[in-house]
Amino acid sequence: MSELLEVKNLSVSFDTHEGELQAVRDVSFSLHAGEVLAIVGESGSGKSVLCKSIMKLLNKDARIKSGSIAINGVDITNYSERQMQRIRGKVFSMVFQDPMTSQNPTIPIGKQIAEAIRVHDPKMSAEQVHQRVIELMELVGIDRAEQRCKLCPYHFSGGMRQRSVMAIALASNPRMLFADEPTTALDVTIQAQILDLLRDVQKKLGTATILVSHDLGVVARVADRVAVMYAGKIVEIGTAEEIFYDPRHPYTWGLMRSLPAYAQQGEKLYTIPGMPPVLIDPPAGDAFACRNEYALGIDYEQMPPMFQITDTHYAATWLMDERAPKITPPIGGMYHV
Amino acid sequence: MIRKNPYIYYGRKLLAFVLSVFILSVAVFYIARLAPGDPLVSYYGDRVERMSIEERQWAEEKLGLNDPIYVQYIRWIQNAVKGDFGISFKYKMDVLEVIESRLGNTLILGGIGFILIFAGALGLGILCAWKEDGWLDKSICKVGTITSCIPEFWLSLMLILVFAVNLHLLPSSGAYSVGHKNDIADRAVHLILPMTVAVIDHLWYYAFMIRNKLLEEVRADYVLLAKSKGLDKKRIMYRHCLRNIMPSYLSLMAISVPHILGGTYIIETVFSYPGIGTLSYESARYQDYNLMMVLCILTGAVVILFNMIAQIINERIDPRMREQEIVETTEVTEIG
Repeated sequence: MSELLEVKNLSVSFDTHEGELQAVRDVSFSLHAGEVLAIVGESGSGKSVLCKSIMKLLNKDARIKSGSIAINGVDITNYSERQMQRIRGKVFSMVFQDPMTSQNPTIPIGKQIAEAIRVHDPKMSAEQVHQRVIELMELVGIDRAEQRCKLCPYHFSGGMRQRSVMAIALASNPRMLFADEPTTALDVTIQAQILDLLRDVQKKLGTATILVSHDLGVVARVADRVAVMYAGKIVEIGTAEEIFYDPRHPYTWGLMRSLPAYAQQGEKLYTIPGMPPVLIDPPAGDAFACRNEYALGIDYEQMPPMFQITDTHYAATWLMDERAPKITPPIGGMYHV
Repeated sequence: MIRKNPYIYYGRKLLAFVLSVFILSVAVFYIARLAPGDPLVSYYGDRVERMSIEERQWAEEKLGLNDPIYVQYIRWIQNAVKGDFGISFKYKMDVLEVIESRLGNTLILGGIGFILIFAGALGLGILCAWKEDGWLDKSICKVGTITSCIPEFWLSLMLILVFAVNLHLLPSSGAYSVGHKNDIADRAVHLILPMTVAVIDHLWYYAFMIRNKLLEEVRADYVLLAKSKGLDKKRIMYRHCLRNIMPSYLSLMAISVPHILGGTYIIETVFSYPGIGTLSYESARYQDYNLMMVLCILTGAVVILFNMIAQIINERIDPRMREQEIVETTEVTEIG
C-alpha cells in the first residue's frame, strides 16, 4: 500500500538577487494516513517552505528544483495550477501561522467557510451549505455558531479566529492538514486549547496532519512522529518516543537541552552556539558542523547520509557511522514529556 | 464610547460647509476687485475707450462699482441670500440664466468623462494586476506613465492639429454645429476630442492606483488561505481582493471630482466648448464680477462637498466605526 504522502528528494530554491537560496534541500519523508507528523526546527530551517511547496502555494520566485511529491502513489510534482486547485482543500489544506491576517477581514466568517465548501461541491443547496457551516463551526468549538457565522474576523479573538481558520481548512474533508505554526501567534492558554482541538479533530476525522512548529513542548503534546529540520534538511526523523527519549543527532540534543524543562535550577539555560547558516551557497558537509561540539573532521567535508537506527528512526549524522568515536549523549532517556 | 449623534455629526459638516463657502466668497470678491482690469469693458465693450470721464463715473455709479469693497460685498451678499446674484456684465442677463445655459454641456463632458475614466481605470488596473510583470502589464505601465504626463492643453492642441486641421475628421471646437443643439450624433462627434483628452490625462493615474492596491491585496495572507481552500485566481481576485479595495476606490472617486473638474475647465477652454469652464475663464478675463462670483462659489462648493463626501466615506469604512454598531446588535441578541 502506498503512503498518503510521499516526498522524495525534494529540493526547493528561491531566486534572489544574491543568488539561489536553497530553502529545502533533498528532503524525503512520508506521511501515513491518520497520523500527526511534527516538523520542528529553528526559524528559517525550511519548515514552512516545505509545506507550502507541497501545496504549491509559493510565489513565482520559488521553484521545485528536483524530487517528487506523490499522494496515494500519484505523482503531483508537475501538476498544473488548475489541477492543484482541484485538490487543494479537498486532498490537503492548510492552517496558517497568524490568524489575525489569514482571513479576509471584510467577509463574514460563515461566508468564508461556505465558500470553501462550495468550491468542491457547487451543487450543494444553500440550506445544506449553511448546515455544514454550522456543523464545522461547532466541530472547531465555536459555540453560538448561528449568530457568530455572520460576524467578521475582527470581531473574533485570536483563538476564535484560528478555530474558524481550521473550520475553513476542514470544510471539504481533506485527507491531510498542514498546520503551519498554528499556535505561534496565540497566547499560551489559547495555544493549549488549539492544540487539543487539533488533536481532537484529527482523532475524530482521521485527518493526517503535518504540524510545523519550533516549540518542542507543542510537538510533544500532539505528535505521533517527529522530523527535525535544520538548514533545509531533515536531520532526524522518528516516532515521538524515539525523538524525545533517544535522540541521536547533535542538533536534536541541542534543541532538547535548550528546553527550560531540562534546565537545572540556578543554572543558565542552554543555547546552541552560533546562528543557522545562510542558505545561499550553503556550506559543504554537515551544515550544523560549525555549531556542533561533537563535530568530526568529515562533517566539514561530506554530507552525512541518513543512518537507520530502527525501522522508523533515522538520523543524518556521522556520529552514527560505525567508525565514529563513541560518545555519551548529553541527553536522552531521562527527559520526560 | 458614546455613539455619534448623526444630527450633530452632519450638522457640523453643514456648518463647516457654509463657513467654507462664505470665506471663499469673501476672498474671491476681494481678489477679483483688487485685480487689475476694467469691469466696464465687459459691460460696454470697446465703447469704454470713447467715454468721457463723466460718462465713466455715471456708469460706475450705475453698476455700483464706486463704493468701498466691503459695502459692495454686503450689498452683494444681501441680494445673494435672496437668490438674486445680479446680472452678467457681458451677457446683460441674469447670472443664473447664463450659467444654466452652459451647465448641461459641462455635465455631459464631465459626467461621461468621469464614468469613462473610472470604468476604464478599473478595467485597466485589474488587467495589469492580473498580468503582473508580464509584457502587457509592463508596456501598459510605461505608456500610461507617459500619457499621464502630457499636459492637457498641449495634447488638445495636437489632437486638433491632427484630427481637425490636417485630417478634417472631427470638429475642432464647440459642443454642436450651429442649429444642431439637440442632435445627439452631432454632439457626440464634438465630444470625441475633448473626451479623449480628459480620459487620456486622468485614466492612468487611477488605473495605476487600482493596480497597486490590488497587488498589495494579492500579497495579503488571506489570499494564501483562499488559495489553500481551492479557490481559483479569478474568484480570489474578484470576490476577495477587488471587494476589499472597492471602499477606498469609492472615496478616491469622490476626492477626484475636483481634480477632474479642473482638468475639464482647461479642456473646455482649449476646445472653446461652451461649458462652465470657458465661462469661468471669460468671466475672469473680462472682470464680469457677478458671473465670476457665482461660478467660483459653485466650483468651490462642489470641491468642498466632494471632499466632505470622501471624508464621510472614509470614516464609514473605518472598521472601528462599524465595530461599534455590531457590538451593540450582539449585545441586544444576548439580552434577548
